[in-house]
Amino acid sequence: MFKDALTWLEGLSFPTAVRESAWLFPAIETVHVFALVLVVGSIITVDLRLLGFTNRDRPFTQLAKEMLPWTWVCFVIAALAGLMMFSSKATVYFSNIPFRIKMVCLLLAGINMMVFHWVGMREVVAWDTSVPPRHARVAGGTSLLLWTLIVATGRWIGFTT
Amino acid sequence: MVEALCDWLSKTPLSVAFQTAEWFVPLVQTIHILAIAIFLISVYVISLRLLGVTHGARSIGSLMRGSAPWIWGALTVLLLTGMLLTITEPARELLNWAFRTKMVLVLMLAILLVVTQSALRHDPDYWSASPGRKLAGRSIGLLALIIGAGIVSAGRWIAYV
Repeated sequence: MFKDALTWLEGLSFPTAVRESAWLFPAIETVHVFALVLVVGSIITVDLRLLGFTNRDRPFTQLAKEMLPWTWVCFVIAALAGLMMFSSKATVYFSNIPFRIKMVCLLLAGINMMVFHWVGMREVVAWDTSVPPRHARVAGGTSLLLWTLIVATGRWIGFTT
Repeated sequence: MVEALCDWLSKTPLSVAFQTAEWFVPLVQTIHILAIAIFLISVYVISLRLLGVTHGARSIGSLMRGSAPWIWGALTVLLLTGMLLTITEPARELLNWAFRTKMVLVLMLAILLVVTQSALRHDPDYWSASPGRKLAGRSIGLLALIIGAGIVSAGRWIAYV
């Protein structure tokens, strides 16, 4: 049944146009890469601060507040462009192993971020202007690892589809 | 002449070794993309400040001092990984107009960054000292945003032209 839904998606007019056009896919992919580079850059900036490597002279909350708009605006753009690329060859991507690993990593990165936001930030006043505690460093390291994997598997999709 | 160089380079033992290792290009490209992420977010944060769109808690001079090592460090990683990719597939890069456009844009952005940085080093308020300098700063900020997007786009189109 799920396969039927993917086949239906592929058959819609826009996904078909993307599949059949010579320039549409590269154009959407360019938007995807441009937006994701800024998503990853803004997240790495926050992760490195959480690990205590950079921006130690700045309050964590201030840096996070500055980076958040970049992350969310660009994430929405990257996700929309990603969905457009996915829809053009939904059945192919769905059965692609790097694609599946990438989606799992994205999900885990989202969970990691939510847990840190709801639990890890509770006592942020205590370490806002100093080296973050262990649990915050673990959250930063986990995020850094997951986003590296997201970039790597994303690039790997291009070599296996 | 460039064709002859590509031909010679692609037959060197180093190039052949890189070509034979299937994992080499995706791995180097992943490092390249992560470095672009750090480079571009650092450049864009400064560009928006020059443009007057954002107003952060710290001065643009102090922002530049903190970002400069990351900008130039990431650019070094980009040049090194870019060279590895060029050694592996010389004809794919050197004979490609998207690649050549990208290199011109990289050079232009590097010049803009050197100008911005050295002015700020001499005077942290340089880009806001007079209406003329404000306009110059805004123009540099806007140019940097556009050139940055152009670099990422041209980079992705190397694979398609």
